[in-house]
Amino acid sequence: MKAAAFDYERPPTLERAIELLRAANGDAKVLAGGQSLGPMLNLRLATPRLVVDVTRIPELRRTADERDAVVIGACVTHADIEDGRVPDATRGVMPGVARAIAYRAVRNRGTVGGSLAHADPSADWPTALAALGAEAMIAGPAGRRHVPVAEFLSGAFESTLAADEILEAVRVPKLSARARWGFHKVCRKPGKFAEAMSAVLWDPDRGVRRAVIGATDSRPITIGDARGSVDRSRGGGADALSEHAVAAMLDGAGLGGDSYSRRIHLVSFRRALAQIQST
Amino acid sequence: MKPIRLTVNGKPVSAVVEPRQHLGDFLREHLLLTATHLGCEQGVCGACTVLVDGVPVRSCIVYAVACDGADVRTLEGLEEDEVVTQLRAAMSRHHGLQCGFCTPGMMMTARDIVTRLPDADEKRVREELSGNLCRCTGYVGIVDAIRDVQEQRKSRRGAP
Amino acid sequence: MSDSARADDGHAGSPTKQGVGARLERKEDDRLLRGRGQYVGDIRLPGMREVAFVRSPVAHAVVGRIDIPDGRRSDVFVGRDLADVEPILCVAGLPGFKAASQPVLAVDRVLHVGMAVAMCVGDTRAQAEDLAEALAVDYRELDVVHDVRKAREPGATLLHGSWGDNLLLTSDLVVGDVDAVARSAPVSVELELRTARQCMSPMEGRGVLAAWDSRMDQLVVHTSSQVPHLVRAGLARFLGLEEGRIRVIAPDVGGGFGYKSILAPEEVCIAWLAMKLRHPVRWLEDRREQLTAGANCREHHYRIRAHADRAGRLLAFDVEADVDSGAYSVYPFTGALEAGQLPSMLPGPYDFGSYRCRSRAVVTNKVPIVPYRGVARPGACIALELTIDAIARAVGREPYAVRLDNLVPPQAMPFDNITGKHFDGGDYPASVRRAVDAIDLAGVRVRQARGESDGRLIGAGFAFFNEQGSVGTSAYAKWGLPLCPGHEQAKVRLMPDGMLEVAVGIQSHGQGLETSLAQIAHEVLGVPVDRIRVVHGDTALTPYSIGTWGSRSMVMGGGAVARACRALAGRLARIGAHALGVPEGAVRVRGGEVATGDGRAVTIDEVARLWYLRPQELPPDVDPGGLEVTGGYRAARDSGTFSYATHAVVVAIDPETGQVEILDYAIDEDAGVCVNPMIVEGQIVGGTVQGIGTALYEEMAFSEEGQPLASTFLDYILPGATEVPPMRLAHVETPSPYTEFGVKGIGESGAIGSPAAILNAINDALKPLGAVIAECPATPRRVLAAIDEARNRAGRPV
Repeated sequence: MKAAAFDYERPPTLERAIELLRAANGDAKVLAGGQSLGPMLNLRLATPRLVVDVTRIPELRRTADERDAVVIGACVTHADIEDGRVPDATRGVMPGVARAIAYRAVRNRGTVGGSLAHADPSADWPTALAALGAEAMIAGPAGRRHVPVAEFLSGAFESTLAADEILEAVRVPKLSARARWGFHKVCRKPGKFAEAMSAVLWDPDRGVRRAVIGATDSRPITIGDARGSVDRSRGGGADALSEHAVAAMLDGAGLGGDSYSRRIHLVSFRRALAQIQST
Repeated sequence: MKPIRLTVNGKPVSAVVEPRQHLGDFLREHLLLTATHLGCEQGVCGACTVLVDGVPVRSCIVYAVACDGADVRTLEGLEEDEVVTQLRAAMSRHHGLQCGFCTPGMMMTARDIVTRLPDADEKRVREELSGNLCRCTGYVGIVDAIRDVQEQRKSRRGAP
Repeated sequence: MSDSARADDGHAGSPTKQGVGARLERKEDDRLLRGRGQYVGDIRLPGMREVAFVRSPVAHAVVGRIDIPDGRRSDVFVGRDLADVEPILCVAGLPGFKAASQPVLAVDRVLHVGMAVAMCVGDTRAQAEDLAEALAVDYRELDVVHDVRKAREPGATLLHGSWGDNLLLTSDLVVGDVDAVARSAPVSVELELRTARQCMSPMEGRGVLAAWDSRMDQLVVHTSSQVPHLVRAGLARFLGLEEGRIRVIAPDVGGGFGYKSILAPEEVCIAWLAMKLRHPVRWLEDRREQLTAGANCREHHYRIRAHADRAGRLLAFDVEADVDSGAYSVYPFTGALEAGQLPSMLPGPYDFGSYRCRSRAVVTNKVPIVPYRGVARPGACIALELTIDAIARAVGREPYAVRLDNLVPPQAMPFDNITGKHFDGGDYPASVRRAVDAIDLAGVRVRQARGESDGRLIGAGFAFFNEQGSVGTSAYAKWGLPLCPGHEQAKVRLMPDGMLEVAVGIQSHGQGLETSLAQIAHEVLGVPVDRIRVVHGDTALTPYSIGTWGSRSMVMGGGAVARACRALAGRLARIGAHALGVPEGAVRVRGGEVATGDGRAVTIDEVARLWYLRPQELPPDVDPGGLEVTGGYRAARDSGTFSYATHAVVVAIDPETGQVEILDYAIDEDAGVCVNPMIVEGQIVGGTVQGIGTALYEEMAFSEEGQPLASTFLDYILPGATEVPPMRLAHVETPSPYTEFGVKGIGESGAIGSPAAILNAINDALKPLGAVIAECPATPRRVLAAIDEARNRAGRPV
């Protein structure tokens, strides 16, 4: 199938891009890599009047290595992250996540911002970045705002981005040297979207014990204080976040109706936790 | 319609394109470069893989208009490429192709694996190949061909 | 002395390295590796326009008003515009077969999602799709028969009103008294098995480009087809043209697997449109069309009772099988192709006394089924081989040992089985034994007893099967189809410079026939393979053939090439002997020469020069037919060749996620004499990987509304490089006694045994849990469900 006709603009600046989106009045799609948008256009599942290609806007390709965080422009590709061409705040976590996204040819084009903005719950970045405590940096007509990635998705394929806003960058806090990371996804085969996914971060020096369960039917489930589960899996701590409690959260997220889905989410959660066990 | 200028297989190309025309169709229908095959137009099968600015991309989900200024290379433009020449011989030797439809995309990915990951083991080679579907060969000959070329290049690197 | 007797054709001891048995690199590779293959989509003709089909979004409806945008009527064609086209009607001569005609564009009713309702023409495909989207079609929806169970319910909605039911064919076969055996047999097992509907998914979809050639006064149709001559026959019949007015060209074809072995309605539509519009038109099937509107296959449902003695010796096999045939009968194989063959296939390679089978082809509101690699055999193999494993579990023996006791023994070969199939030779039990060793079954049993450190469950599984390939006239005549294989022909001609052209009516779309047929010609004549050109895929250039399917091309096409080359050798010998000044009987053709026994020779090239350039030097009794010969071939016994194989698999199952990983895979196979062993291995491995898809991944599910639930390769999962284990192949060559060089059909083999072997391995792994998988693909969801069911049965909490 071929895409329905659309207009195309490639604005040189963020301001111009926002202007174009505003003028399009909701009938525009932002192209930040197009690896999800392309198939949707070809299948005519998306039929915008205008496609705004933001890939050449310098701000969106910028990275900044700050004192306690790294800012990664929205149009940095998965391959850039995989190959270490951008600073890494996460001691190898993000390159590892990047490498398991789809396929290399997709990673060469697909971007971290595009993936987040697409808001597919089964994609890797919404879950991984939420667990890392990253912030989405959003630019719009009214200026800039920051939203924790954990709150960025509002549902499946829905985010807090307004039609005239653009995801400019993600700000990823630096992990401390003692930080440990667990990430497990269940897929039918490599490169396929995950059927279940969990990420766990234990970073005691920063007081972080966060777990995120993704690939749900909606936004990822973030357990900001997963002290129980995390500490227990580290060999200490009482009042564990019981599997029963996690299961209840899954039920609350609407996964209870499908026993298979609920079950593999629990497995992914358990296995992600197992990865941070003390060694 | 939008004007674009880009380089295809080393030659400058100017064209006026419909924004909705993907790069694969632009190459095939406009430039008559038909080595690039369309297997799904859903970004999954990998048959349409070409090099844009030196790296493999899916030409079915990249729009020609977005390639303004880019350097595009198709299999036709890699006739003399050293790695591709080695891969051609190895693919034939290991029976890495049958109907040939996925082959151009496989060659692009194979070249990327050989050049980017010269020391990849078989498991990694298979992972890197997993985005290119082949319905005929069962991948065995393709994996063997890539491993063969890796070895050839390694032994040559190691030679005095 | 006949012509053919003079050619040196004994491949044993042949000095050549290019002939039968050589692992030659393929002649077709170079162009394909440079991207110079020419597929239908690569061909453009001046003035060509593109076509998009409007397809039904509903499974069963009366088609009402079709609104066409103003000013576009001339670019849109609907069913009633094609009033001069006959609907596709394919009838089999089998008793009780019911026929239904299929309009190439829906006229009043649609019977499945994806059925074509209108054709839209545009300068580009995108514009044609724009127009297709702008059409408004009124569908008055009817009750949908979405599966076999519903189709067979009393009072079910009928797809074809005049039939009285939804049964396309009911086929019964009874041998012996199954009920009597059942009453006395010490061991009985019951199974209910299901296999999913699949899409063959060649990497290139269909494609048709048609134009009227006014100079030749001929319709020229380029189509991605395995059967150009059958397409010509079908087009002639349904368009009402003489066959001589149609030329069908199948250029490079990007995989077929049976998908392209039929006449597609779109081929008729596009051919008609080219005549109507008087300019070239092209339609390239996209992946969404291929998955949702193209053909499906292999949706079987079995209810099995098998009876055995205490050692597991099979006494009686009792099967009821339903095949979901979809809505219509494809031309030329019909929708009964799977169900009609099941009764004779199901007993497989085993020798037992009593058998009963009732098989039904059931119509539903789904895409009509099309033959897919192995046709009914993968399902039959699952039914039989899962039964053997069930018997083994019941009697507490190793499944391979039960196989050994039931297989036809080598001393009984050749053997006529319970349904009259004539097995042409081989040692079946030896194959099973070698496969058992190849995967180190003893080692697997030790490992199972020890348990895996990661908690996974290990299992080993086997499947043995024989494949009746290249079925010939006597068998097909009984089907009464629009096709029947007779003599296969090849035309060979030696050019003035000594180059040899070999033209065949079969079609090569990945099988490497351009190479292996050249090897056969080389075997007979000694012309170097790089000086042999194999021409195929064009009705204007090749002799008639029913095409490439049914594992027939090497047996039939190869046989024809051998015969034609031998006939040519006879003509070369007469000329060569004259040139050498010796009697004709004193020379033989070999190694590219006409040679005497005492070392004098004239090259074939020189003979060619004599015929074409120096006719004054030819012998007076030279064959005026010259150096172009058509030879024909039919096997000495045409009931088919029987290649056979054991597939042996080791899997690991994650009992928490239900995911199955294949750890080891070994195939022990007897393909008879392999013309090019490398190509044969490629066919087997490729087929096996398709079988991995059948076993674990591929499923075209439908909703109760008849909606196909996969439309992209994201949701219809094909195996990728990471899903394929390392595979080991062992060849044994038992030459067929009935074919040229002893070759056997092998093209479908891999796809037949792999699903059953994998399912058996899964069930072996699940055995400690008491769980059994009875459905494929064995998705994680199904594996977990099987484990849960077993736990519930045992009264344990999940």
